[in-house]
Amino acid sequence: MVKLIVIDAEGAEHVLDAEPGRSVMKAATDELLPGIMGECGGCLSCATCHGYVDEAWLSRLDPPGEEELDMLSCAVDVEPNSRLTCQIEMSEALDGLVIRLPAAQF
Amino acid sequence: MAETQLLFRKAEVPEHVPPENVIDFDLFAQPSADTDFFEYWKRLQAPGVPDFVWTPCNGGHWIATRGEDIHTIYADHDRFSSRNILLPAERNEAIRVLPTSLDPPEHRPFRSLINHALSPKVVRGLEPSIRELTVSLIEGFRQRGHCEFASEFAELLPISLFLKMVNLPVEDRLKLKALSEQVNRPDGSMTPEEVNQGFYDYLMPVLLERRANPGDDIFSQFLAGSIDGRPMTDAEAFELCMQVLIAGLDTVVSVLGFLMMFLARNAEHRQLLVDDPARIPPAVKEFLRRFPLVAIPRTVIHDMEFQGVRFKEGDLILVPTMLHGLDDRAYQCPLEVDFERRIGIHSTFGAGVHRCPGSLLARAELRIFLEEWLSRIPRFDIEPGRTPKVLYGIVGTVVDLPLVWQV
Ligand code: HEM
Repeated sequence: MVKLIVIDAEGAEHVLDAEPGRSVMKAATDELLPGIMGECGGCLSCATCHGYVDEAWLSRLDPPGEEELDMLSCAVDVEPNSRLTCQIEMSEALDGLVIRLPAAQF
Repeated sequence: MAETQLLFRKAEVPEHVPPENVIDFDLFAQPSADTDFFEYWKRLQAPGVPDFVWTPCNGGHWIATRGEDIHTIYADHDRFSSRNILLPAERNEAIRVLPTSLDPPEHRPFRSLINHALSPKVVRGLEPSIRELTVSLIEGFRQRGHCEFASEFAELLPISLFLKMVNLPVEDRLKLKALSEQVNRPDGSMTPEEVNQGFYDYLMPVLLERRANPGDDIFSQFLAGSIDGRPMTDAEAFELCMQVLIAGLDTVVSVLGFLMMFLARNAEHRQLLVDDPARIPPAVKEFLRRFPLVAIPRTVIHDMEFQGVRFKEGDLILVPTMLHGLDDRAYQCPLEVDFERRIGIHSTFGAGVHRCPGSLLARAELRIFLEEWLSRIPRFDIEPGRTPKVLYGIVGTVVDLPLVWQV
């Protein structure tokens, strides 16, 4: 298990244990964490698992693919560090990853 | 129990179906008025009923009765194809819709266009118009102290909003609603060919006109979309727009009807929402778990064994979303409405690549409706002596819900 830290829009910190290989979206929705939906279950068709990657971690992630960028343009309040968290796979290298959630997914 | 006559032929039980799995279940039967829609479907989960049953009705098909299987089947397009999404199967030859009847990878480019048309950004932008429309409809009858909720509200809000998004005149809603109903709840008054022709005669001139003079509506966006690098054909545009119309016209309506029937009969639940509107968003989640109403089939792609049952290539399996949120294996006391319930996975909007792209719009409409209605009409009842009317089929719906309140 690796650590995933999700900070919700109110600033509350949720420390989750995530299985390597599991996506950030799945790890968060498994816990029924509010503020993240993941409506489509990870098939890149809803843009409701939107999160902001902590600046310190940005360079350690693979850049988003074309389909993710296309769907990301559908999300609300998008920033340069925005990602669809169903596309971020947890791994040893991402142990301690910090993701902030937007005020709303839609 | 008076049931309507069979609309479609019954099939012989095929050899690979064990007799103990055979039951008689007609998707299009209309049980008597005092039947509860959800309890009716839940009979398929009664003790002793196998997890998969086979019915000879409507050309013969399996029914998945348990939540986990329902979710798996919706999501697993490698084993369960979407090529037939209507029952009986021959109706799919007359009525073709996109992207619902396509499997990946062909599904994706059409779906991508819909994703953009109904995205979080779009839905957020629509909120003010949803609210405005909701308030004006409610204010139209509030002083009167009564309304027939289905025709005076439920059928108007989603449809008017949706027709605005596709830039069609609101007056056309009755015609389109009637055609959509024949897809989801055929009553034998029109053949599938006539239904398709009805949509075609209405939509095709509109689409050709939009092709020539594009606007900023959803249909124009679809027509401008590229399908793997080529333009969309007229036939594809027709099938795509027809699907979006049917899905947009005949679903939120139904959830609104069922949840208002519930709130009219359950003053305590209603009061919780009136006293604290912050409970409305979790209540919408709970209502969507509790009032699922779509049942669509999948087609088995290869002979296989699944959950201990032998399926043959081409077998149809009806996958009722009703039976996931209401499955006691997934939710304790599933028929109880509990706004504090922890809600995990259910299948009200399907699952996998076809999962409903309209779910955010639906959620927004339901939330705004509850906020505006309950602050204006906090107490209401079903008119004494009247029984609401519910229709069964591919999409279940409430068509007569007379409400009364003090003014
Ligand atoms: C509470 C209301 C709604 C419910 C319960 C619902 C339910 C569903 C379900 C179960 C599916 C999956 C079908 C399948 O897997 O074969 C679906 C698909 C679809 N829905 Fe909805 N829906 C709702 C509202 C809407 C709205 C408001 C729209 C559009 C404005 C919409 C548009 C669609 C479309 C276009 C599809 C086909 C998607 C595809 O095949 O990729 N739905 N819906």
